[in-house]
Amino acid sequence: MIILDIKNLTLEIESNGVLVKALDKVSLTIQENEIRALVGESGSGKSLIVRAISGALPPQWIVTADRLTWRGQNLLSMTRAQRQAIMRRDIAVIFQDPLASLDPSATLKDQLVESIPQEFIPKGWPWQRRKARLRIAQQIMRKVGIKDVHAAINKYPHELSLDICQKFMIAMALVSQPTLLIADDPTRGMETNTKQQILTLLAQLNKTRNLSILFVSHDLIAISAMAHSMTVLYCGQSVESGKMKAMRRRPLHPYTKALMDSAPSFSPDLIPKSPLVAMDGTIPTLQHLPIGCRLGPRCPRAAKECVQVPEERSINEHKYRCHYPMHVESV
Amino acid sequence: MIPLLSINQLTFKPTKKWEFMVPSTDFVLGPVDLTINKGESIAIIGQNDSGKSLLAKLIVGAVTPTSGQISLNGQQLDPNNTKARASDIRMMFRQSSESLNPGISIGTMIEEPLRLNTQLSPEMRLEKVLKTLTLVGLMPDHYYFYKHMLSEGQQQRVALARALILDPQVIVADEPFAALDPSVRSQTVNLLLTLQAELGLAFIFISHNLGIVRHMSDRTIVMNEGQVVEVKDTQAMFADPEHPSSQKLINAHKALLTY
Repeated sequence: MIILDIKNLTLEIESNGVLVKALDKVSLTIQENEIRALVGESGSGKSLIVRAISGALPPQWIVTADRLTWRGQNLLSMTRAQRQAIMRRDIAVIFQDPLASLDPSATLKDQLVESIPQEFIPKGWPWQRRKARLRIAQQIMRKVGIKDVHAAINKYPHELSLDICQKFMIAMALVSQPTLLIADDPTRGMETNTKQQILTLLAQLNKTRNLSILFVSHDLIAISAMAHSMTVLYCGQSVESGKMKAMRRRPLHPYTKALMDSAPSFSPDLIPKSPLVAMDGTIPTLQHLPIGCRLGPRCPRAAKECVQVPEERSINEHKYRCHYPMHVESV
Repeated sequence: MIPLLSINQLTFKPTKKWEFMVPSTDFVLGPVDLTINKGESIAIIGQNDSGKSLLAKLIVGAVTPTSGQISLNGQQLDPNNTKARASDIRMMFRQSSESLNPGISIGTMIEEPLRLNTQLSPEMRLEKVLKTLTLVGLMPDHYYFYKHMLSEGQQQRVALARALILDPQVIVADEPFAALDPSVRSQTVNLLLTLQAELGLAFIFISHNLGIVRHMSDRTIVMNEGQVVEVKDTQAMFADPEHPSSQKLINAHKALLTY
């Protein structure tokens, strides 16, 4: 069953009197119990999608969508209170950069206790309830793999290392027992050991608690280790989406191909020190977006037709937007 | 044959703070022994807080070691003679976007080391800066640009140009690829590989991305709690890590790949 359904989400930002489409008709669905990866480089709008789902956008930005529904309820037309109720209990977000998103003036205990829903605490005297809260907090911290819970719980975020803070962010997101977890670049800047611990934790939660995960990142190795399906974004346009296996075996869009080539670990028979296959140019800024397919100026297969935005086509649930996909011989 | 850079019994112990409430740390770096040949690339890997960045800073001379010597081409480097060292061993800092001065133009920034370390005339300096800019794949026009006008990948190239301007023999880079997007990262890797082949630079870099370490480096150093625990050829290291902490790192990397 589809729990989150986004169809043709467009986000317009006014910049110097002109409306710029920061997101251009992005579609995304998340099935129950699925790990979907959202891949894109910086400036591709992946964090904007996360913020559009969670409703954390400034009011002057214009969001339009054919569908933006959570279990059939339209997120855009519901009242603020209804939306907050969904965000509180059903969807949890791990934001980028734990040190910046945790409260620097409160201990971990205070922050975690605050986010435990009232329903989880049995009735009783205030000191009993306080004790129950603390118990839940310690339990969840132990579950996400923080080793020395008693030492960590009374500390401030700046006193702890980055990976403990990151695990704590996951604990805070999980304490309300959500159905969907949105993880915005949870492994950024981490060394391999910690990264693997966090990925194993997320994969485990997906199996044991039927948690659906939207995994936002540009780390393809991490993604291919755990995701079931993947959506690739480039400059606010979704270029390709489909099952992970199919996309790894045969990427159809030139951009996905370039991303796969950029990780030397994916091609084990590559000779060390040989030049990597790289795409020319850099990612355009929001003010200078090319028309049509936004990959156009960098794409090795670009032709005249690419000034038109390509329609979405699909082969067995493998959707792509390209005039000259990889399985068609180039002209 | 004399190695290009040899590090002999290098140690570093942080000076104790006279604060009674602060628990003293017993972190000691080294002793480190290491030799680097011309045209070789060496990767330093290890967990967080294992002293990787500190070792890099000790090699370039940004931090004065407690004991031990570093010699370049057989000549011992004096820790106080920063001028000779600054032109032969150059550093690229972590997050190039934050290590560039936003207030002066790219050209002025790259020219500064030349002005301070050489006797070149202004015309010769300009020529040299423009030549270095084209070498790292930027345009001569970028001389007049400011930091905020450039993308992340271009900023990385500027940092590289600043490192290359004094014709160094060794470049030390602290996580040069961490902040880059995949498609730009491949460009930077290619650029470094070609420059190394052309100029015969020795390149020491710290990275968490083991895929790139495997691709780029000749030898890999594993650090753990301030100690160099294993030094080996990269391919041998990835095939058969010996020390528990290197096994842990490399197995974690392999586990990610084999799902």
